Amino acid sequence: MALFDEKTLRKLDRLALVAAQVRAGQIKGERRSTKRGTSIEFADYRDYTRGDDLRRVDWNVYARLERPYIKLLEEEEDLAVHLLVDTSRSMDYGSAMGAESAEGSAADLNKFGYARRLTAALGYIALAVGDRLTVTALRDSAPVAQFGPARSRAHTLRLLQFLEGLASGGFTNLDAALRTYALGSHRAGLLFLISDLFSPAGYRTGLGQLQGRGYEVAVMHLLAPDELDPPLAGDLRLIDAETGTPQDVTLDGSLRALYRRRVTAWRDEIEGYCLKRRIHFVPVTTSLPWDELVLFHLRQRGLVK
Amino acid sequence: MALLAPLALLLGLLALPILILYMLKLRRREVEVSSTLLWQMLMRDREANAPWQRLRRNLLLLVQLLVLLALVLALARPFFRVPTIATGTLVVLLDGSASMQATDGGGLATRFEQARAAVRRLIDELSSDGDMALILVGHQPQVLAAATNNKDVLRAALAQAQPSEIPADWDAALALAAGTVRAGQVSDSVVVIISDGGLPPNLPPLPAEVRYLPIGSSADNLAIQALALRATSSGPQLFANVVNYGDADRSVILSISIDGRLTTAEALQVPAGGQQELVLKDLPPNPAVYEARLSLPASAAAGAVLDQLPLDDTAWAVYQPPAAGRVLLISPGNIFLEQVFAALSGSLGLQAFKLKQDQPLPPEPFDLYVFDSILTDTLPTADLLLVNPASSQLFEVGGVFTNTALVRVADNDPLTRFVDWSGVNLLQARRVEVPDWARVLVQAEGGPLVFAGEVGGRRVAVFTFDLHDSDLPLKITYPVLMANLINYLSPAQAFSAPDGLRPGQALTIKPGSGDTAITIQDPHGLRYAAAATEAGVIFADTYALGVYQVLSDQRTLGRFTVNLFEPLESRIRPAPSITVGRVEVPAAAPQAEGQLEIWPGLAGLALALLLLEWWLYHRGATLPAGPGWRGWWQRRKAG
Repeated sequence: MALFDEKTLRKLDRLALVAAQVRAGQIKGERRSTKRGTSIEFADYRDYTRGDDLRRVDWNVYARLERPYIKLLEEEEDLAVHLLVDTSRSMDYGSAMGAESAEGSAADLNKFGYARRLTAALGYIALAVGDRLTVTALRDSAPVAQFGPARSRAHTLRLLQFLEGLASGGFTNLDAALRTYALGSHRAGLLFLISDLFSPAGYRTGLGQLQGRGYEVAVMHLLAPDELDPPLAGDLRLIDAETGTPQDVTLDGSLRALYRRRVTAWRDEIEGYCLKRRIHFVPVTTSLPWDELVLFHLRQRGLVK
Repeated sequence: MALLAPLALLLGLLALPILILYMLKLRRREVEVSSTLLWQMLMRDREANAPWQRLRRNLLLLVQLLVLLALVLALARPFFRVPTIATGTLVVLLDGSASMQATDGGGLATRFEQARAAVRRLIDELSSDGDMALILVGHQPQVLAAATNNKDVLRAALAQAQPSEIPADWDAALALAAGTVRAGQVSDSVVVIISDGGLPPNLPPLPAEVRYLPIGSSADNLAIQALALRATSSGPQLFANVVNYGDADRSVILSISIDGRLTTAEALQVPAGGQQELVLKDLPPNPAVYEARLSLPASAAAGAVLDQLPLDDTAWAVYQPPAAGRVLLISPGNIFLEQVFAALSGSLGLQAFKLKQDQPLPPEPFDLYVFDSILTDTLPTADLLLVNPASSQLFEVGGVFTNTALVRVADNDPLTRFVDWSGVNLLQARRVEVPDWARVLVQAEGGPLVFAGEVGGRRVAVFTFDLHDSDLPLKITYPVLMANLINYLSPAQAFSAPDGLRPGQALTIKPGSGDTAITIQDPHGLRYAAAATEAGVIFADTYALGVYQVLSDQRTLGRFTVNLFEPLESRIRPAPSITVGRVEVPAAAPQAEGQLEIWPGLAGLALALLLLEWWLYHRGATLPAGPGWRGWWQRRKAG
């Protein structure tokens, strides 16, 4: 599977992920930090206090003013980027009608394919700017596969191979999976959760725990167009792809309208929750070309610059 | 509203099998979706909001139950009680006379259609235990339907009824109605007369209650009530009489056509209720068909109609010159000839005219010229009876012979039927060489005494002796022979109807000798044929107005006309009441209670619902992925 082509890759090259809240960095990266550090970029002065490194006193200012000032320099650091992909059975939904096209992008309505493509794009952006990237596949109530942590563009091919090797299946207990991830020994950073949030057990506790551990969380809520406006009518028995639970419905125009309203209300509810918790929420319909999503919508929301 | 067959409601139990079948047939299609999470939430919402929504989804079931309901109700035969003219056992007399063709039918074409609608309403409102006999009153009353409760039979019989162009025979119709009532043996019989009231006076009473349903509204009618031709010495004279039966003075054009050519058109002012006459003189003496027609003057408003009854706006008359009967006797004076023509004129329809021998021949043609002892230089081209003639271009006459003993009287000749020459004595006769065209009727030893034949398109009979030289005129055989000869020379008309006939009047047609078949062609072109018999042919199918043609297998025998000329029919003013027996019957008001059944409407509703059900099912089956018919409807409304 060719996740994306050369042209898109070049466009992604110019992008970088932005974390507004996360400040942690362990090694010097290409990222300017709000922390003052040891680079050669000047930031500010402050009064000398006892215990400061004498090497950092600006002697020229001392000669002129006869008072010691410490020269503050900008720190450059790296960012830990976590990409969590929901690989449950429910994600493998939506017709994959554009999967074989040469562009391999725009028309892929299948949520799982879309999620992998999106993950690859975000991961590539992270690797390209030297961020510390971890990609994790979530299934059942725990992470099932992990890529990284990795840094540098050299890992791009491995990342793509990892994503291509992923398969969907099983059910999701998003809450438990996120909790498990939060408790894992990861460096907190910018975390993208790519999921349809079809998790009967919920997801809020998990998100809360991640935030508690210092993660800046962005939820990419993926839905196929068929899930927003189901092309169904008549007397139906709907079977849940994950649990096999049947649900009898007799679908007519009014019920379809009711469903559409219900979906919108559900998304609004999630968005409201995220807004309150300062979680980035990006509603994604798979009919939206993924490159447009990355190059335009994520930029607009300040997650990418 | 009530039901005629309430037991049929039990068929409503069929709803149970429908419901059961519906439950059995409901097999849901299985569809895999990514998650039923939202659907579960949705169904919880919905069931909490409106539990009755579940029913609405089964639109097809609902429609099917409605179809069943409509059918069951139709079978139960619900009816409304409606006021009607009469109910029970009805004998309906439907007027089919000429006046019912008046065009003031009130929205319908004619009074007859209006009457037909009234009968149809009576049939619709006929109660379930009543029955109806339907009689069309025409020239002969006709039972369209014997007493029955079957409304379909009645409606079919009614649909076949057609009005006639002639007066109706109400006496016979009432007799038939009385017979129908008696045959029914039911005490509550009602005779309903649906008519415009043109009933003759002195009708017999009826053994049942009579209701009268008047039809028509207008009295506006102009009629030609007489059209006659009379032969005068200066040619035929025409007399026409136009009557205005309406309430307003009218000016009309009376056009007279002769053999289809418009000859004259006179403007007449006819006062309301009055009449006007037209006399035309000096018309051409030829046989011809005269047609008189009323029309509006040119000043009339566009779209105006002459009157409500067109049937009596046209009349016909045939001028047949009294050709067979005009005989000119040219004689120095012959009492025997004069007497025999005077005697025969009655039985043979002759008109004899005398002329002295020195007078010139009159210019007008005669059918038979009788020359006694003299001959003009140029013989007329008509038939001739020559008595004791001189030589002429027809034959040569020689000297006198006295050998007049009888040799032979021709056998088997119609001219010598019943002729007995045995006692006749004859002094002398003239010798004549019998020409080729003639046949000898009476042959004496010395030569022919009487011969006859056809030459140059005319018939000629010859006596070769002077009647005064014999005792023939004193014998009984003389008038017989003369009648035979005159019949031969100038055959009597086959029929006589100089003033035309009234509709339905019979005509006796006497075929001429040699005719074997008679054909009568009526104004519509219908031909009636009959074998010619000696007693004559009686023709009575004179039910169409117009000109009839009478033909034999050899020749045209003549024409005659049938005209309405019936004031009872032309006076179309609807009568407010009629008199039957000694009882005056006013217009009936709806006083009985009829039953108007509504099952046809219910059956139609069931059919419409069935079509709707099919459509709904079809949409559901062919467009499962569509937005549903409700969405389609909303888009349609929005668009």
